[in-house]
Formats: sequence, structure tokens, C-alpha cells
Amino acid sequence: MEFLLALVIGALFGSGIYLILRRNPVKLVIGLGLLSNAVNLLIFVAAGLTRGMPPLIHEPAVRPLEGIADPLPQALILTAIVISFGMLAFTLVLFRRTFETVGKADLDELREETDQ
Amino acid sequence: MSVLLVLPILLPLLTGAATLVLRPSRLLQRTLGVAGAAALMVASLLLLAAVAKHGIIATELGNWPAPFGITLVADRFSAIMVVLAALMGLAVAIYSLGSMDAGREKEGYYPFYHFMLMGVCGVFLTGDLFNLYVWFEVMLIASFVLMALGGERRQLEGALKYVMINLVSSLIFLAAIGILYGAAGTLNMADLAQQLPLVDPGLVTTLAMLFLVSFGIKSAIFPLFFWLPASYHTPPVAVSAIFAGLLTKVGVYSLIRVFTLLFIQDVGFTHFLILLLSGLTMLTGVLGAMSHDEFRRILSFHIISQVGYMIMGLGLYTPLALAGSIFYIIHHIIVKTNLFLVSGVAHRLGGTYELAGLRDLYRLAPGLSILFVISAFSLAGVPPLSGFWAKLILLRAGLETGEYLIVAVALLVGLLTLFSMTKIWGKAFWQEPLQPQPMPHRTGGHRRPLYLLYLPMTALALLTVAIGLLAEPVFLFSMQAAEQLLDPAAYIETVLRGGR
Amino acid sequence: MLLFSLVLIFAAAALAPWLLRFGAVRASTFLTFPPLVLTGYFLTLTDRVGAGAVVESHPWVPALGVNLTFYLDGLSLLFVLLVSGVGTLVFLYAGHYMREEPQLGRFFFFLTFFMGSMLGLVLAGNLITLFVFWELTSISSYFLIGYRHGEEESRAAALQALLVTGLGGLALLAGFLLLGQVAGSLEMSAVLGSGEVVRDHPLYLPILLLVLAGAFTKSAQFPFHFWLPSAMAAPTPVSAYLHSVTMVKAGIYLLARFSPVLGGTPPWQWSLILAGAATMLLGVVLAIGQNDLKRLLAYSTINSLGILVFLLGIDTEKAVHAALVFLLVHALYKGALFLVAGIVDHQTGTRDIRQLRGLGRQLPLITVATALAALSMAGFPPLFGFIGKETIYHVVLDAPSAAPLLTLLTVLANVLLVAVAALFVLKPFFGRPAMAVDPHPLPAAMTLGPVLLAAGGLVIGLLPWLIDERLLTPAASAVLATPTQVELALWHGINLNLLLSLLTFVLGAGAYLGWLRWGQMAARWRPLAGWGPATWYKWGLKGLTGTAAAQTRILQHGYLSLYLLAIFVATCGFAGLALWRAGGVPLALQLGDLQFFEAVIALLILASAVVAIRSDSRLGAIVAMGVIGYGIALIYIEFGAPDLAMTQFIIETITVILFILVISRLPAYAELSSRGSRLRDALVAVAGGGLMTVLVLAALATGSESRLADFFAETTYPEAHGRDIVNVILVDFRAMDTLGEITVLGLAGAGVAALLRLRPTSKRGENRHQSQEQEEMRQSLILATATRYLMPMLLLLSLFLFLRGHYLPGGGFIGGLVAAATFSLHAFAYGVKRTRQILRLRPRTYIGLGLLLALGSGLVSLVTGHPFLTGRWEALQFGAMGELQLGTPLAFDAGVFLVVIGATLAILLPLAEGD
Repeated sequence: MEFLLALVIGALFGSGIYLILRRNPVKLVIGLGLLSNAVNLLIFVAAGLTRGMPPLIHEPAVRPLEGIADPLPQALILTAIVISFGMLAFTLVLFRRTFETVGKADLDELREETDQ
Repeated sequence: MSVLLVLPILLPLLTGAATLVLRPSRLLQRTLGVAGAAALMVASLLLLAAVAKHGIIATELGNWPAPFGITLVADRFSAIMVVLAALMGLAVAIYSLGSMDAGREKEGYYPFYHFMLMGVCGVFLTGDLFNLYVWFEVMLIASFVLMALGGERRQLEGALKYVMINLVSSLIFLAAIGILYGAAGTLNMADLAQQLPLVDPGLVTTLAMLFLVSFGIKSAIFPLFFWLPASYHTPPVAVSAIFAGLLTKVGVYSLIRVFTLLFIQDVGFTHFLILLLSGLTMLTGVLGAMSHDEFRRILSFHIISQVGYMIMGLGLYTPLALAGSIFYIIHHIIVKTNLFLVSGVAHRLGGTYELAGLRDLYRLAPGLSILFVISAFSLAGVPPLSGFWAKLILLRAGLETGEYLIVAVALLVGLLTLFSMTKIWGKAFWQEPLQPQPMPHRTGGHRRPLYLLYLPMTALALLTVAIGLLAEPVFLFSMQAAEQLLDPAAYIETVLRGGR
Repeated sequence: MLLFSLVLIFAAAALAPWLLRFGAVRASTFLTFPPLVLTGYFLTLTDRVGAGAVVESHPWVPALGVNLTFYLDGLSLLFVLLVSGVGTLVFLYAGHYMREEPQLGRFFFFLTFFMGSMLGLVLAGNLITLFVFWELTSISSYFLIGYRHGEEESRAAALQALLVTGLGGLALLAGFLLLGQVAGSLEMSAVLGSGEVVRDHPLYLPILLLVLAGAFTKSAQFPFHFWLPSAMAAPTPVSAYLHSVTMVKAGIYLLARFSPVLGGTPPWQWSLILAGAATMLLGVVLAIGQNDLKRLLAYSTINSLGILVFLLGIDTEKAVHAALVFLLVHALYKGALFLVAGIVDHQTGTRDIRQLRGLGRQLPLITVATALAALSMAGFPPLFGFIGKETIYHVVLDAPSAAPLLTLLTVLANVLLVAVAALFVLKPFFGRPAMAVDPHPLPAAMTLGPVLLAAGGLVIGLLPWLIDERLLTPAASAVLATPTQVELALWHGINLNLLLSLLTFVLGAGAYLGWLRWGQMAARWRPLAGWGPATWYKWGLKGLTGTAAAQTRILQHGYLSLYLLAIFVATCGFAGLALWRAGGVPLALQLGDLQFFEAVIALLILASAVVAIRSDSRLGAIVAMGVIGYGIALIYIEFGAPDLAMTQFIIETITVILFILVISRLPAYAELSSRGSRLRDALVAVAGGGLMTVLVLAALATGSESRLADFFAETTYPEAHGRDIVNVILVDFRAMDTLGEITVLGLAGAGVAALLRLRPTSKRGENRHQSQEQEEMRQSLILATATRYLMPMLLLLSLFLFLRGHYLPGGGFIGGLVAAATFSLHAFAYGVKRTRQILRLRPRTYIGLGLLLALGSGLVSLVTGHPFLTGRWEALQFGAMGELQLGTPLAFDAGVFLVVIGATLAILLPLAEGD
């Protein structure tokens, strides 16, 4: 299964990269969203997968069963999800403000005032 | 002592949260904004003193032993970076009092400013790779808002590029962390340093490349620097100044940290690549600066070329070379921030950042001229100012290792920097006005006292001169910091012993 | 004491701007004293120096081997006396000469500063210290040349001088560093003693070339000579002082200083002779046709500098003697003539030799001084210049090789000196007076300089024993590094030298007459002066700025997508390089136990990715993105991550809502990029995706167990009092991450709000009006009723999820999201305005409070001396119902809860307002 998921991760990265290289702002943000998801999945898979054993300590035990999933990547991903949600939301609104102000539909046209 | 390690993170957090909660009264925001920065300054100096006295210090947050919890750790390099961040934080906060417009002050300039400082200090102090990512993100989101706050068109255009490219950098960083954890099973950097030799070296070097790209984007090295010149000249000058002083240096700090602690398996390849990139960064940066005629754009490109020098020391990878890098960072943060601050006053006097529109400042503003000359010549490495020693150390390190080509590039770029600085000087300061009339104060909103601008600029200029004239202690400190970096055993031991 | 003399001058420089408040004349008179005192002081040192070098050292940056060492031997002393002696006269002169000019404070500051730097340069006993002062002279020269900064010409000249000497300076620095490396020390005394080591070292040639580059640029040797004539844009006292007597001699000083170390080898001799000879001749050629007194002098200075380098290149004992003699000769007459040129300019307003005539009657004393200086320049007996010329002829006639050629060159150079001297004195001062001359009498202070300098030439010519033993012998001994005796005499009998001298006079007279006759014709050659290195400089500068512009156009083109492309290419390239270098990495390629359900999820994700790329509607792509997110959430569930799955579901949902709220304001899809660029991007995308797949498989192949998981399993319940390990990691083990995380989220929320509120031009009035309409439209009765009943339940649910987090999947984050979703629902049902009323506080206040709560919970443990964020727990007894563990991590989680509510609402509410 890891092998298949590694392919999925690659495909998500590829799609994200392709979309982020477009000139339409919506595609760009969707690409960003895909990349965030891809990275999270990558952390999850690279640490190794364990089926159906959530890292919980059931009452009244004081320690979990053997063979639970590694809890740390999960915690990292939780943190990363929230962070990328915040970033994505901000980026989305920034895009909206920018294109409202500029009134162009093409990212390539955002260059008069910053470069050159 | 454990408190000293958290204070540089908590004080800005406290200031930031307090300014966020309290009513948007300008007086309150401004008072807290400066008071918080001053407190951070004091805390950072205490930290530096502790590190100088006790050596590397560490604290285990939540009292969980390393490598299981998160460790904060300060060696000399971290400590001096925190001090510099605090110093710039204070200087620019005071400058902001005299330059930031009321709208931005009400809408949260000070909270974002302090949260950014929090992120910066977090990067310098954490001993955990994932935690490093988190602080990067804190710093980034705060800087995103500062960059875009106000919403002028060029600001938004610049911010958009800045945001997108930096987010990509963060994603690459995060992916690298994920792979690294999968391969080595730990996140604590000291622990990683011990585990990495057990991992396949090819994988480690490949990961090193991901770190190089990700931190390289943040430090604006060739060929990853595009976001910087596209955006740094767009926000209010106080924001440009603090960005210019600190943000790329956070990237450089991280590069130096991971390429002295973690990725030292294949120095012949990784560090040579860094050296190569450093030369290209110097050259492309300075050429970029030469092709512009706008005060802040010129300065922005110079950041890039100066970052080249900073990582040149890392590429050479000797104690002297790294000491040169550290000295360079210390010098550069002060000088570059100050140059941006000077450009702000020039803008206020001349109403523009375009060199074509700025004239006669030498006659109108002798004080500003002195401040500019000191900082600009220091940037170009004119003796005996701070930049001279920074370059001298690097040149010597380069010659000692026989890397003559990079030394030649470094020398040449120094001359071109001088050329570019004299361009600003010749036009904005020396050129006489077309009609002999007093310069109009076009920006009507700015009627605040000038001393709020001159106070921090003068302090930073004096510091530049002082570092130049009294280079010995700074050099010795950099040398000790470099030796700590190149002998990670003490760092690893302190962290894994839990700072005890 | 040597340090003190420098401090004195620099202190005077610092005082200069203030002194100038009392008037130029008074200030300059005051500023005359420091150099005067120094001149006297150093004269008293002659005997001590004759006995051996005086060394004085103060630590500066000893760790780098850099010290403020001063090294005073015969050579330094000669230069020190030149600098301070001529400096005294120039300051006296400048006060009157400049008194009506603006910005004199700065002028005198830089002039004094220059004097200090120059003294430092010749006194320095450490290579780096020497370099520091070397650069400072270039810098002060920049500001002095650019004194008339309103004029384009002055600015260009200042920059040119700075860049040319700066280039040499950098070479010199590299040379010095290498020299120090080879000699093992940067201290002059050590370097001077290690000549043999240096000359035998493989780095000798690079060191030599680098040092020569420094010396040649500073001393205006071909092909770097061109900056010197342009530098005449400076006020005359500056030209006299810097650009004829002192700074341009720094290169000569450098060569003389290091000749015991670097000299005596064929490369040294040949480069010096060639450069010197070329410069000599060039000075001659370019001087022809000049009509400006100062430029004329500038070219003759180039010529003289060439002679000096040439002599040092001949490298015999006598040649060194001759060089030192000529150095002094030149300083005396050239200083005098420059000051005279200034006086002429000052009194008549012109320096054009064609207009100047008959000034002799108005300025008798000056005429005498000029005549004396000119005679010395032409080498007439009994002036010092005659001695100088005789010594030079003696040297070239005795030269070890190519003596005839060298002699020819030298005679030619001297012929020019005769002609220029004649021109300088005969044209302006003799003939019928035809000029309007300033009727004010010339102040004595201005006359004193030229008169004293010219008289010096006469006195020394008549009484050469005044200086040969005391001044020149120690200097020559220092240069030769062996004791030597300089003996000067006016009359050596009739010999070949004398005949050559006579020949020189005759030819010189002829040249002068020819000049008068054909000079105007020759003036047409003057464009020649612009040819050569000066043009190369111009082209070089143009080429450089052109390259810079082209590079910027190519690199900083402004297209975001290409910037990103470059980054991805760099990533794949560098990583590919590393992989290739390693010869590949082990990969985990086994397919493993594939379950049908999981494969379906994977295929669903892949299919959605294709839709996200290919869809030509924005909504379709967004839905595809959502499906991918949900698919990933399913994977999380399948592989034991319920917390993760819950969060992923909620976040993905909110993200999709967010997209839908925002995209209506973003541009629709359109065909923008060409096929080619799509293909290119696709290739990069495939490479990037492939790289990540490889890396994941490589990480899996390593198969190392987590070093941390066991610890968490063991301690979560007993020590951290929780049952959901993931949640405990978030609020306790790695609470610092979470603190950072909620800061990011809070800032994103506050940032969105600030971004939407603060605009350069306010159009908010309209928007507000429009949004009110929207709000009214939105209020649907059914939704409102449903919401009224749902809200309490949903809020309770959120509280429940939050509270149980420590034990079961849930926690502050998920609870906060549910609460935020509830308020959003309320906003849809009743309008944002009413939701804001219910919330009472602004969202950003919630964010701030949440952060403060989280911060405060971490601070509790500091009171008891534990690290930040250490959990403190108290067990609450509920009698029969058992006990409840309450601890600071729960308060921390409450902080998370608040921030999440605040941030989510800060993002959603303004967007829902349609603002």
C-alpha cells in the first residue's frame, strides 16, 4: 500500500506543481491546496503506515496496545494542516484583493509596478 | 536561565497578543509597540550574557526530556542573532513611531510586527526541526500581512509574489522534514545529528538539497531570490527596513545551522555547491542593483549580493570562514536596516524613491548625508567600517583555502557595490536641484518629529563605526561562535543532557 | 607618540566644520598648526631615525594579526615631512583661496582627514593598517574631487578616480593578504625581513602583480593614468596637495617600501621599467596642446611619476638615490607651480595659457617664485632640479642593460619638462600686460606657499648637504635595506651627464618654440588624450551597466510563474544531482498488502487530481480539490488517525466554502498559456512529483523505527494524564508547536480582516450599502428557525469535543472549528451584523485572548521553577463520581479553542458580508 500511496503523493505533487505554474489565480490557489495536502500525506506515509490502530489508551489501561500507529506524524500533520489552512485563507483573500485592485485576469500582467 | 531562552519568544507574543486585544487606540498601540521591543532588547542581552558566561544553554519545554519534547537551545550564534533581531526590532519600532501612518497603526501594524519578531526569535532559538518550520510560518504570515497591509496596488502585486514563493519554500521544507523523520525517526536536531550517519548517505545528501533550496529561497540566493526584489520596495519603509535587516538572515541562519550540524557527510559536494551559489549570488545581486535607479530597489538587490558573502563563509567551511559569515551577518543587519531607514527619510524630504527625483540632499540634510555615507561605505567594505572587517575575514579565509576565484569575485563585487552606492550618492545627494528652491515637503501626512527617525538611524550608524574601530571583540565572538558551530559535540551533548 | 600625531590630525578634522564658523581664514590658520607642529616634531626625529626604524605598536584586532603599528624609518620620514610640510603651506593657502566658496566646513574636514590618512599611510607598520589608510586617502580624494558636486564633470571625475584607485586598492588588499600569508605575519618589520621567502614562493608573481596594480592605479601609471587629469576638477589646493605632491606618490612609496621584499627580480624590474617608461612618454605626448595650466601640470605630473617608477625599476643603488632625490625635487617645484596656477586663476579668473599674458608686473614676487620653480623643473643649475636631473642621467647611462634606449627616453621626458617649464613661466608672466587683474593685493598667506617651496629648490640646490646625509641617506638605506650613502653635489665636472643636460636645454628650447608655433595645431591631437584607457574605462562602465540591465531583464522579468518554475527546476536539478552523485538510493518497491477499499481511495484521489487539472470550470476544480481532501481523510481513518481525519474533513469543508465565497471575485478560467509552455510545465511537474515519490520510497526503505513513539506511549497516561496520545502531543509534549500554530492561524485571521478593511481609497461606503441588501436577502425564515434550535446543540457539541480531547479524538482545535461553523451558520441565517452582536467582542480580540490564555497556561510552571509549558495537574474529587484531573494543558487547549473560533470567524465573517 505504501508503494501505491507514494505514487499518489507523487501525482498530487505533480498536479500541484503544474497548477501553481498556471497564470490563472484560481488554479494557482488550487495548486497550493493540492501541494499542502500532498505534503501532509507525505509526512504520514514516509513515517510508515499502521492499519486501524489509533494511538489511544483505552480505559482502564495505562499504556496503549502494542503496534499502534506512530502518533508523532499525526500531531505534526495536525499542526501543518492548520498552518496551511491559515496560509491558504490568507492567500485566497490576498488574491481577491489584488485582482479587485488590478482588474486583470492574468498573473502575467502583474508586473508593471513591481519589476522592470 | 531556562527563562532567558523562552523570553525572546514570549515577550513579543505577549506584546502582540496584548496589542491585538486592546482597543485600537493609537497611543496605546504605539506605547506598547516600543515598550515590548525595549523589553525584548533587555531580555536578549541577558540571554547573550548567559551564553557568553555559561556556554551553550538549553531548556526542555514542558519539562519533557530531549529528544521527545521540544528543546530551546542557544549557542553564541543563536544568541547574537536574537540580540540583533531585538536591536533591529527596537530601532525600527522607534522609527515607525515617526513614519507609520495612522491607518496601519490602528489596523494592527504593531501586533504583526511583534509576532514577526516572535517568529524570528523562535527560529534562532529552537533546537527542533519541525518547531523551526512552525516559527518560519509565524514569521512568514506576520510578514505577509505587514507586506500587504494598506493594500496599495504595487504592494499587493509584490506581496503576491512574495507570498507564493515563500509558501512553496515552506512546502519544500515541510516535505523534507517528513522524509527526514521517516528515515531517521527523530526531529530534535542534536539527535538527528547523531542519527543521520546511520541513514543512506545518498538520501541524506538529496534531502540536504531540499533544505538548501528551501532555506535558499528564504535567504534569497541565486537562482531563488526573485521574490525579494519584486516586493521589498513596495511596503512602508519601516517594514522594508525590518524585512531587509532580518528576514533573509533567518534563512542564512538556518542554512548555516543545518549545514554545520546535520548535513556534513559530503562536504565536498554540498559545501562546494554552496560556494558556487555564493559567487553567483554576489554577482547577480550586485548587477541587479546596478541596473536600477530607485533607492529601495538598489538596496534590495544589494541584500542579495550581500547574502552571497554570508554563505561564502559557509561554503568555505573553515572556522575563520564561518567567523567571517557571522561577522558579516552582524555587520549587514545593522547597515542594511539603516540604509533602508535613510531611504525613508530621503523619501520624506524628496517625495520619491526614484533617484531621478531626489536631489541636493547633501546640502539640505547634512546629518542624513553622514548617516548614508557611513552605512553605504560600510556596505561596500570601505575601511575601517564594519563591512571592511567582514570582507577581510572572508577574503583571508578564501585565500587560505586556495579558493582564489571566489576571492576575486568577492573583491570585484565589493567595488561594484561601491559604484552602486556612489550612484545613489551622486544623484540623490550631490546633484543640485533643477531650480534653486527648497525641497517641497510633498507627503503632507507626515508631520511627525524627525528625531524619531534620526534617533535609531544615528544609533545604528554609531554601532557600525564602533564595530569598525573596535573589531577585535566582535571578531573574537564570531570566531568562538564559529568554533562552536564546527564542533557540534558540545551542542549535541548540551541538548541531549537537557541543558543541565 | 606616533599614534598621537595621527589622533591630533583626525581630531583637527573633526573640529574643522565647527572651526569654520569663525571664517575660512581664521579656521585655516588654526588648522595650519597641527601639521606645522608635526613637521617640527618629525624634524627632531631625523637623528633617531638615522640610527634605525622607530616602531610603535598598539593592538587593534590582534586576533587577525592587525595592529596599529607605526613604523618610522628614513623612507617614512621623508614622506611624513612632505605630507606635513607641504600640508602646512597648503592649509595656509587654502583658507584664502577658498574663502568665498560654500560648504567649507566639509571641505576642510576632508582635506584634514586626507592629511591624517596620508600620514597614517606612510607611517603604517602593518599591512592591513597601511591598506586602511590607503583606502581612506582614496575616499577623501573622492569627496575633494567632487567638491563642486553641482557639476556633472566633477562628479564623474570623482567617481572615476574612486573606481580606478578602488580597483587597485582591492588588488592591493588581496596582495597584502597573500603576502602576509607567505611571510607569516602582517607586521611590516616581519614582512620586510622575509624577502627571500617571498621571492622564492610560488605565489610571488601573483603577489607582485596585485601589489603593482595597487601602486600603479594610485600613482597614475599607464594604463591607469587617465583619472589624474580629470581629477583637476578639484579646487587647486587639492590638486596641489593630493594630486601632485602626496597621494599620487603613495604608489611610489609603496614600491619603495616593498622593494626589499618584492624587488630585485626580472618581473619586478621589467614591469616597473615598462610601466614607468610608457607613463613618461605618455605624459609628454598628452601634454602637447594643453592650454589649461592645471591640466598641463597634471600631464607633467604623470610624466614625473613615470620617471619615478622607471627609476625604481632600474633597481640599482644609484637609481634608488635618484628616485628619492627626484621625488623631493618634484614635490618642491610642482607644489609651487600648482599653487601659482591657483593664484593666477584666482586673480584673473582663467587658467587658459592663450589668454594669460604679462602678469609679471602685478605679481612680482610670484613671478620670481614661478621662475625659480620652473628653472628647477627644467633642471637649470644651481637649482635642486639640476642635481636631480644629473643624478638621473648618471643612473640611466650606467644602467645594467639597454642603457642607450633608457637614456633616450629620459632625455625625451626631460625635454618636455623644459618646454612645460618655459611655457609656464614665459607665457603668463611676461609680455605686454593685457589682463584685468583682481586689484586686491594678494594675501601673504597665499604667496608664502609658492615662495617657500620655490626657494627650497634654490637653497637645497646650493646647499645639498642640508639634506643628503640627514634625510636622503636614511631613506635610501630603507629602500635598499642596506646602508648606503647619498652624496649630492652641484658640480661633478664636465662629463657625459653635463653634455646631456646641455642637449636637453637646447631641445627643450626648441620644443618650447615649436610649441608656440604649432601648439594650436597640436591641440587638434587633443582628442588623442581621450583615446586609450580613458575610453576603455567609459566602454567598460557602459558595458557593465548594459550587462547589468540585460541580466536584470532576463532574471527579474516579473512573471511569477517563471519564478516558480525556476525554483522547481532548481529543486529537481540539485536533488537529481545529489541522487546521480550517490548512484541512486535504496527504494522500498514492494507492493505490499493492497486492500481493495484502499486502492479505490487512491484511484479516487488520482482521478480527482486529473479533474482538478483538466476541468475548465472553477467550481469543478474546487470540488475535485475537496474530493482529494476527503480521500486523504479516508486514508487517515484507515491507518489509525481519527483526529487527523476529523480535522481534515472539517478543514477541507471550510476551505471549499472559502473558495466558493472568494472565487466569484477572481477571474474566470481562460486559455492563457501556450502549448509549449504547458508541456514544459508538465515536464517539470512530472520531475517534481517523481522526486517526491522516490524520496518517500527511500525513506520507507530506511525503515528506521521512530525513536520517539515508545516514550509517548509510556508517559502519556501516567505523566501527562491523557489518553489520546496525539492530543497530548499537541497540548503537552510539543505544545510549543501548537503555540506557534495557533499564532499562525490567529495572524491569518487578523490579517484577512485587516487586509479587507484597510484600503488606500475608501469605497467601503458603497460596499456596506450593497452588503446590507445582501444580508436582507439572505435571511430565510426556515434557516433562521432551524438555526435557533440547532445553535445551542452545536455549541454544546463543540464544548464536548473540546473537553474530551485529552482522552478521545477531539480537542480544542476541532471543538473550536465546530463552534466557528455554528456562528457562521448563524451569520447566514440572521446576517453578519447580528452574529457580531452575539459575539460581543471582535474576532481579533478572541484571537488575542486565546493566545494570552495559552501563554498564561505555559507561564504557570515558571513560578515553580520548571520550564515553560510544564504541565501542572490537580485532581478534583467528586466523591462517588470519581476524580477529575485538571491541568494547565487543558487551559492551553482552551486557548487553542478561542483562537480557532476567533480566526475562523475573522476570515469567514467579512467574506460573508461580501465586503
